Amino acid sequence: MWRDALLVCGKDLRIEARSRIGLNQIAPFAAAVLLLFGLALGPDRQALEPAAAGLFWIAVLLSVVLAVQRSFALESSDSARDGLRLSGLDPAGIFLGKGAAIVAQLLVLEALLTAGVALLFGARLSGGLVLLAACVTASIGLAAVGVVYGVVSSGLRVRETLLPLLLLPVTAPVLLGATKAWNAALAGTPAHAGIWLSLLAIFAILYVAVGIVAFGPLLEDS
Amino acid sequence: MSGYIEAGYAMALGSLAIYALSLVTRERASRRRLPPAAPGEPVSGSPSAPDSSGESS
Amino acid sequence: MSRLDTPRDARLDGTADGELGPSAVSPKAMASGRSSPSADVAVRIVGTLALVGVAATVWLGLFVTPNAVDYADGTVRLLYIHPPLAWVMYVAYGMATLSSLLYLWPRTRHARFDRLAGASAEVGVVFTGLTLVTGSIWGRTTWGVWWTWDPLLTTTALLFVLYLGYLALRNVPGDDETVARRSAIAGLIAFLDVPIVFFSVSWWRSLHQPPTVDLASRHLYVHGSMAWTLLLGFVSFTLTYSWLVVHRYRLAVLRAREEHEGLEVALAERWAEAVK
Repeated sequence: MWRDALLVCGKDLRIEARSRIGLNQIAPFAAAVLLLFGLALGPDRQALEPAAAGLFWIAVLLSVVLAVQRSFALESSDSARDGLRLSGLDPAGIFLGKGAAIVAQLLVLEALLTAGVALLFGARLSGGLVLLAACVTASIGLAAVGVVYGVVSSGLRVRETLLPLLLLPVTAPVLLGATKAWNAALAGTPAHAGIWLSLLAIFAILYVAVGIVAFGPLLEDS
Repeated sequence: MSGYIEAGYAMALGSLAIYALSLVTRERASRRRLPPAAPGEPVSGSPSAPDSSGESS
Repeated sequence: MSRLDTPRDARLDGTADGELGPSAVSPKAMASGRSSPSADVAVRIVGTLALVGVAATVWLGLFVTPNAVDYADGTVRLLYIHPPLAWVMYVAYGMATLSSLLYLWPRTRHARFDRLAGASAEVGVVFTGLTLVTGSIWGRTTWGVWWTWDPLLTTTALLFVLYLGYLALRNVPGDDETVARRSAIAGLIAFLDVPIVFFSVSWWRSLHQPPTVDLASRHLYVHGSMAWTLLLGFVSFTLTYSWLVVHRYRLAVLRAREEHEGLEVALAERWAEAVK
């Protein structure tokens, strides 16, 4: 399973390295989201700075939808999906591989967005360890749910509208936990983030487990 | 102020009633559209072959 | 008359004999889409009881029971419908999840469970919407705001959107078995999220702000006519749920048969033409 995971992860990341969709399209999208938030909430820093963590994570959430769409769009050309099914790769491995590739992309994106949020909203970065821990656990959870719903909606003509509808409500706890953890860190009281980091960890573990079990049957159906 | 409560009751019951009605209407329409008997089966007679009714539960 | 394709697994189609009810089904009854007469009567009784119960609840709730002292003029009357609506919502989603599980479990895999899941989820969404509206009205009459970020209300709102997504997924066209399996898994995933959502929203509310609006403090002393009305409310709405699910389920069966038999009739007609 792990070997297959590495294989798929490497493939997805290599495609990304060559096509640079994540860098050229998803990252600018996320930056645009931040800018639009700035426009909507006014130039007054007083409204923006307390909201910085929440806005950051909403931008991440919206970007995850794109990243998942992209991840499965890779497979839909030239019956690549059938190839995936028939290749004899362990479906759980495919799940882990795709998920890991998305996590990697998310972490890069989050690094960029952190800089963006510090710049645009005047967020004072502190409690770096908590910020990082939140990013890692949240990204894992988001990627896990994303890949599961991604395979469910892949191959459907309505996937562009179905995937966001399925994904966003389920990830509400991640949004909550990550935002609260970041708020705690940015406010200089990283200790308060403990409970939220646990929430993020539980979510991540649960949905990775779900994905490992459910990806196989879902892949066959798609 | 209390008008809201009555409105709430009305809306809750009204919605349920509308939903119930829509179900019944759609059911009737569907039944009317169905062919009178499934093709290839005798219209009168004993219940169909045992092999297809052997589900568990 | 030849069947052109390989024989369908009638069990998974759910068009097998026992689908609509107990095995004492006459072909005529099958064709009309009804289950056995006794099941029919039972459903009608349930429906009538539900109707009577709900009407009685409304009458008692609005006109007979007293205004509670600690609540704004008449607000307590929502108590007779709001908690029952929420209760039914949980029952509906629980039933949908249970059916999804039963469908996925190989030994009990049968289209009826998939249809039950879909029917129960749809009714659940209806009740969720109503829970939200009555909860919002409660907030308006008690605290003057149309929306409070109360943990229960917020969780309910998220459930609403969550299961709307589930219903959207069910509506995507596809081969019956695929749709059923996909929906069952999606339903389970959604249900797994429910406790997580609930706890995260509760912590969100309680850890960082003193709960200024705490719907949990709904601890009135319900006694006498109030208690009976509340109980009646729970029972009536549960009966209503049952009646609605049965009919929604039947609708699903009829639609499936329309699809299959409509196709067969069309094929038969084509054959007849070709052979002519």
